Amino acid sequence: MNRIALLALAGVLTLSACDSTEVEPVPIPAQTADDIEADPATSFGPQGPVGNGLFTLFDLDTGQVVLSSSETDATARAADSTGTAWDIGFRATTIIFNNGISGPGSVRAQFLPTTPFAELTMAPADGYLADGENTCPAVQTPGGTFPGAPLVVCGGSDNGWYNYNPAANVVTPIPGNTIVFQTSEGDYGKLRVLSYYRGNPATPTENDTARYYTLEYVIQDDGTRDFQTTDN
Amino acid sequence: MSRIAFSNLDLVLIKGLWILLLSPLAVSAQTVEGVVRSGGQPIAGASVRLADTVRGTSAGADGTYRLALPSEGPFRLTVSAVGYETTEVAGTAAVGEIVRLDIDMVQAQVQTDRVVVTATRSPKALEDVAVPTTVVDAETIRQQGALRLGDVLEDVPGLFVFDDHGGGVQVQGFASDYTLILLDGEPVIGRLAGTLDVDRLTVAGVDRIEVVEGPSSSLYGSEALAGVVNLVTAMPAPGTETAGARLRAGTFGETDLVAEAAVGRQRWAARAFVNRYGSDGYDLTPESFGPTVPSFTDWTGDFRSEVRLGASRLSLGTRMAVEDQTGGFARRESDGTQVPYIDTGRRVDWSVHPEWAVPLGDRFQLTTTLYGARYQTETRFRRQSDGDLLYSDDFDQRFGKAEAQVDALWSARHATILGAGITDERLAGDRYTPDAAGDAPNAQQVFAFAQHEWAPSRAWAVSASARFDAHSDYAARLTPKLSVLARPRDGLRLRASVGSGFKAPAFRQLYLAFTNAAAGYSVFGSTRLEEGVAELDAQGQLAQVFFDPALLGDIEAESSVAFNVGVAAELAPWLTVEAGGFWNEVRDLIEAQPVAQKTNGQSVFGYFNVNRIYTRGLDAQISMRPAGGLEVAGSYQFLQARDREIVDALADGGVFGRDLNGRDYRLSLSDYGGLFGRSPHAATLRTTLSRGDASAQLRGRWRSRYGFADFDGNRLANRDDEFVAGYAVFDLTLTNSWSTQAGRITAQAGVDNLFDVTRATLVPSMPGRTVFATLGLSF
Repeated sequence: MNRIALLALAGVLTLSACDSTEVEPVPIPAQTADDIEADPATSFGPQGPVGNGLFTLFDLDTGQVVLSSSETDATARAADSTGTAWDIGFRATTIIFNNGISGPGSVRAQFLPTTPFAELTMAPADGYLADGENTCPAVQTPGGTFPGAPLVVCGGSDNGWYNYNPAANVVTPIPGNTIVFQTSEGDYGKLRVLSYYRGNPATPTENDTARYYTLEYVIQDDGTRDFQTTDN
Repeated sequence: MSRIAFSNLDLVLIKGLWILLLSPLAVSAQTVEGVVRSGGQPIAGASVRLADTVRGTSAGADGTYRLALPSEGPFRLTVSAVGYETTEVAGTAAVGEIVRLDIDMVQAQVQTDRVVVTATRSPKALEDVAVPTTVVDAETIRQQGALRLGDVLEDVPGLFVFDDHGGGVQVQGFASDYTLILLDGEPVIGRLAGTLDVDRLTVAGVDRIEVVEGPSSSLYGSEALAGVVNLVTAMPAPGTETAGARLRAGTFGETDLVAEAAVGRQRWAARAFVNRYGSDGYDLTPESFGPTVPSFTDWTGDFRSEVRLGASRLSLGTRMAVEDQTGGFARRESDGTQVPYIDTGRRVDWSVHPEWAVPLGDRFQLTTTLYGARYQTETRFRRQSDGDLLYSDDFDQRFGKAEAQVDALWSARHATILGAGITDERLAGDRYTPDAAGDAPNAQQVFAFAQHEWAPSRAWAVSASARFDAHSDYAARLTPKLSVLARPRDGLRLRASVGSGFKAPAFRQLYLAFTNAAAGYSVFGSTRLEEGVAELDAQGQLAQVFFDPALLGDIEAESSVAFNVGVAAELAPWLTVEAGGFWNEVRDLIEAQPVAQKTNGQSVFGYFNVNRIYTRGLDAQISMRPAGGLEVAGSYQFLQARDREIVDALADGGVFGRDLNGRDYRLSLSDYGGLFGRSPHAATLRTTLSRGDASAQLRGRWRSRYGFADFDGNRLANRDDEFVAGYAVFDLTLTNSWSTQAGRITAQAGVDNLFDVTRATLVPSMPGRTVFATLGLSF
């Protein structure tokens, strides 16, 4: 009986939705990019991983890696890293954008520390920066403060996208933050980091392999700032 | 401080404060005077009262009393003292006569007022103590079948034993770093990552364990911020000779053997025991190499003696303990394989505690104490296959103290304690290397404390205390405390106290000078920071110095302001209820912060006073003797232990969680699980049924869920999988004893964790149901 009532109700709702001339906007489906290498360890010192010290460069429009951190050939790297095909780069916990001090591109981005990814329905009109233009939160000490590296996404635990738990030796994305950007192609997008560990384990431990980003992101390819769509 | 050494004074303090001359007498014609004695010994502080009136006095330190009589003719006196049967004596006084009336008292068979020493550094009846105090006596410990201090503390209402580098005791929601553990009033040393493992200490030979909650730093100094646990021993009474042996065996190859002997004479007494405690350990994760709890053998030898030289007493307490343990673990090598390692540890610690107590006239007593202790550990990790040494760490701590305390009994209304002392502490070991000048880490401290107790009337008592600590390596501080006890009517007690507590910076926070060769970062304790940064700078290793360490002031001790209130009511002779509340505001918690950046991109860390937390809670206890031989006690505690910074951030709405579906959601204060390892709700239950020498005891303890980790990146416990689910554990112990020609035989059997509750790897100290049996023989 309940089921019948529900079906009837659903039918009424569907009919009324169909009757309506306005279509309810829905969020643009998010994409994920799995296990982007971010200079994973090539060897282990007694105290931790040692990588190549190189960035992986990623194109958000196509969802493709342009240049992997495992590519060590200087010529190949120079060719790609000086181009504008890539939007975002990853090396361990550092995130860069192709602009300003990080590259020749024109990507603009900003870090929204207290806006959950799903709740951001419209990219802000302004506030975008290039790497090098930011003022990162000072590291506070009782004896004084000092500026962080001026990247769009500030480095350091608790300053940007992650925190580091020294007891568990685990890097975890801080919930509630979103990175909004405009790619070199002019598309607005938003992203957040889901995991720093290969395979996106639910509760990573120090035994998981670090420096593999899983990203969730949305690209609005119509040039507007709206992360919702009425297209179905 | 030995309780025995104080037995005269003790009585004055206990009852004398309360039994007062309420109306100063006008010149009175007739008087009664004499000496109150028992077995020829004067009873200081005995209360002498005109029967059925409030008129009375208390005996002086030599037992003498003098009381004016309002009228001539027959009179009756009621004489009482703690530990003695109350007696009534009658006399007759003619007008103007001075009647001589000596009074003999008989020692009470059952001591109704339990005497404690920890709360005020002087013997005092438990019911006269104005701070929350719990006593577990030897009989309770025996009925429970407890072996180690942790077994006792886990059943004390409001306390938790929590696994973190050993079993540490949480008091009022504080990590175990903040509770001072004493053996006969002197600090037990040796902490690992802040935890003093309460299972290191056997309860063999203990007369009682006193637990004082709330700060006692105004008397004891550092570490007594959350509370004080004191293991108190007692000397055998004159004319006694006892000896005994006890063997216990249980699950996981647990064995405990105690052999003890005690002799008491008129002029001296001595007691000694040897304890061997061992276990095969156990493994809750058989799929991975290495036990959850390693196998170990622990030996403790203890000798205590006392000699009476005239009026003074000389006592000596010594203890030595050695533990060897063997465990194992698997370590992931660079090629990803798991390689088994064997870890071995050895701990040696000892203490020597001579004390001399001498009366100075009628009103004063001087107690001089020396205390020396040493704690050494050796840790080795070796590869199982070839014995290759992976890791080695040695630690050596030495502690020396000299202290003098004067107890002054000015009158029945006023009592004062003054004390002063010095300490010297030395460290050695792999992490505590000598500084540039070649000096190993060492610290000196001078301190002085004072306490005054004032009882303006039968219904009120006020105690004020303060302590000054000047330390070579952190800022000097003054720590006060004030407590009030009110007894508006019989059977009802109200207490309130406000005080400060502090905890000195830990050794690593003061003396560490450590550079991680592989990772490249450096950490310096506050005394090493300036030198360390200068040295790195001189070597050209620094890219940027954020500030000049030379400009920093001394590091401060972590300190608190605390409020405690409580009420205890005896609703019926068989029913007592108690309720209380506490609030601790703590500031200057010490954390590592970056001081400079190195050219290799890594940081140089120093230690600074930054964090603030609070813990507050309510507790309630009920104890009943509903029928002969049946005793039931229950307790409940509500606790909030929180980080101020997190509370403020939550109030601002800037903290989010990420649920298991990946959705980020804004957290409110109610999502905050508090400091890790703290349960907001907890309860205990203890039911004891006794018939003659036989007893059965059922104990239960429940704690609600508590946060243990952060998985969603906000540094706090908010998601269900970040909590250890709440649990209740019940233990059952059955005891009986018989007199035989060979001596007295005691048999005991028990089941711990009756319902086999486990929390897998999250609570390694909870392996599930275990059983044990004990057989003892004593003469």
